Amino acid sequence: MRSPDVIAVRRTPLRPLLVKELRGIVSGRALWTMLLIMCPIVGFSFFQAVSLYGEASASASDQAALASGLSPLDGVLVPTFGAFYVTVTLLFPFVAIRALGREKETGTLRLLVQLPYRTPTLIIAKAAAVAGAWLIALIPAVSALVLWLMLGGHLHALETLNLLMGHLLYGLLIGAIALFAAAITESAATAAIVTLAVTIGSWILDFTLAGQPGLAEWVSRLSLTQTLRPFEQGLLALGLVLGSLAAIVGFAELATLWLHPGVPLRAKLVRSLGCVAVTGALVLLAAQVRTTIDVTEDRRNSFPAADQRALAALRGPLVITVHLAPEDPRYVDLRRNVLSKLERVLPNVTIRLVASQSFIGRSGDDSYGEVEYDYAGRIDKTRSTSDREILPLIYGLAQVPLPTPVAGEDYPGYPLVANAALVLLWFFGALPLLIALAWWLSRRAPRIPLSTCQGGES
Amino acid sequence: MSVTAAMANSVVERAPPLLRVLGLAKHYGEQHALAEISFDVHAGEVLGLIGPNGAGKTTLLEALAGLIPVEAGELVWRDTPTPNAERRDIMFYLPDGLRPWDDELVMRVLTFFATVHGRTAREVTETIGSVGLAPVLRKRVHALSKGYARRLMLALALLTPQPLLLMDEPFDGFDLRQTRDVMGLIRRVAAAGRTLVLAIHQLADAERVCDRFVLLADGAVRGAGTLDELRAQTKLMPASLEDIFLALT
Repeated sequence: MRSPDVIAVRRTPLRPLLVKELRGIVSGRALWTMLLIMCPIVGFSFFQAVSLYGEASASASDQAALASGLSPLDGVLVPTFGAFYVTVTLLFPFVAIRALGREKETGTLRLLVQLPYRTPTLIIAKAAAVAGAWLIALIPAVSALVLWLMLGGHLHALETLNLLMGHLLYGLLIGAIALFAAAITESAATAAIVTLAVTIGSWILDFTLAGQPGLAEWVSRLSLTQTLRPFEQGLLALGLVLGSLAAIVGFAELATLWLHPGVPLRAKLVRSLGCVAVTGALVLLAAQVRTTIDVTEDRRNSFPAADQRALAALRGPLVITVHLAPEDPRYVDLRRNVLSKLERVLPNVTIRLVASQSFIGRSGDDSYGEVEYDYAGRIDKTRSTSDREILPLIYGLAQVPLPTPVAGEDYPGYPLVANAALVLLWFFGALPLLIALAWWLSRRAPRIPLSTCQGGES
Repeated sequence: MSVTAAMANSVVERAPPLLRVLGLAKHYGEQHALAEISFDVHAGEVLGLIGPNGAGKTTLLEALAGLIPVEAGELVWRDTPTPNAERRDIMFYLPDGLRPWDDELVMRVLTFFATVHGRTAREVTETIGSVGLAPVLRKRVHALSKGYARRLMLALALLTPQPLLLMDEPFDGFDLRQTRDVMGLIRRVAAAGRTLVLAIHQLADAERVCDRFVLLADGAVRGAGTLDELRAQTKLMPASLEDIFLALT
């Protein structure tokens, strides 16, 4: 039985810890410096995007077909948030590392781990503060959205929220990696090097391995930047969301394992191996979740509405055998234009990729390039990668009539010619000034009750 | 029987010990930082861990607090073995030379500690008064003088509720008058029922404030007991703590 004079440490309020962590980040220079750097970068990207969108809109003003191709998601949101992504990749690690690195450097960690909180609680509080810092960092980008609306621009709520969620997951992933790096290293500088090695390494993976066959293609999928792609395309990929969350929790758990200085190194290594194994398994499981939802207003990731309804009604199994190598541009086209959309709409579809080797030097293989469609035992083949040829083929195999296009369901497009020159004043003048003011206010000492101040002289 | 074990067994026969340290060992590669350290801590006493720089005092305190892993040994708190993870329930360790959350205001650091440990505003005010921190409450921790940084750490320790306080070099950075004040404060804390283990390298300071002593040199215990017990052990009558330490190390 425990001694009665052992203190009860399990019911400590979480709020003071959360406030301390958030204040720790806000009181540092890293967050404010990042915000000040972010203002012109995000602002100029937004300005350029609006200008280019305006030029495209001017030529599309009297042509409905051209106007329907003008989506604010591609034209304004993705470029603006692309600048946000760059600054988060390069600068956010410094903000996140501060949540732990400073305490390790100064030795304050020795006090922190003696507080009546469990180690996971300490990391959760730090992760919450990092998430708070990400929200603060979002101010320039969100202000761009507000300016876009003020200029008369259009925003589709779902695709905008989806994009924000993608960036949130990416930011939390960077934050979790930074916390882990801070937990395993002795100084904030070393932690920054480790984190940047991962984030910039992701770019290198993207540049060098994407589109390569075999193992290289699989390795390139580990790039952090891959996290954002579907969200930028207006897709809510549940597997990706779950995988990202598993990775975030995994890195946070690793940070927890390495935080306490009193745990022997061997125990940390053994537990880390277990954590990596469990996280890896969860990420692999998440990768099996193929459900993706097209949240775009223009339904770019789906077939036309009439086809969607007709295809959703097909209950028979469709087996598609593709005689193409994965890196073949025709396969890339086929996947984007047809296969991905079929996977989203058909209740029972199987896609088999037969030619897994490089497509170079396959001139002697006559079947190479063919795609075989087998619907309930009826088979047809084509080399086309266009939905305009493939959908009629599938309807023929399913013995259903071609659906009649529904008028009025086409995406109208949102052309906008706006003078964005004034937004530069906001991003290069007013917003940085407001941020500097907020920084100054955050550094001001609070008022202290007179009785407290007189404590020493009483 | 080893010297340290013999010392552990020759504990003052007055009350069951609050804490028993048994065979604590810590290596850094080939170097023995702590070699089979054993001693007892009694409730309400001020125990001094005495030794020169490099004797292993800080390592011992951090090992006791569970902040560094050890190769061997255990802590028994009121007859119950206490693993690393539970040490913070019974003791609070105040490191030497630390400026906690150095970019924060002194008042905020105090408020944080007080809120976490459920202290009232009145208790905070009393603590601030007892260590004389009032003039620097609106200063940032990194801007404090060495003496005020020490007072802040002392205030944090006073705000914690653990029955056992471990303090590393509590008088470093204080002038003569301040040292006397802090000694008085430590005595009052002990009188109020808390137990203190102080790592001190200034023997004169230790002799004035501690009830009992554990003499350390090269990571090993060279003697333990009250001043009179140590005098009897060394057969030096009369002798100061300094004389005894020199005789035993």
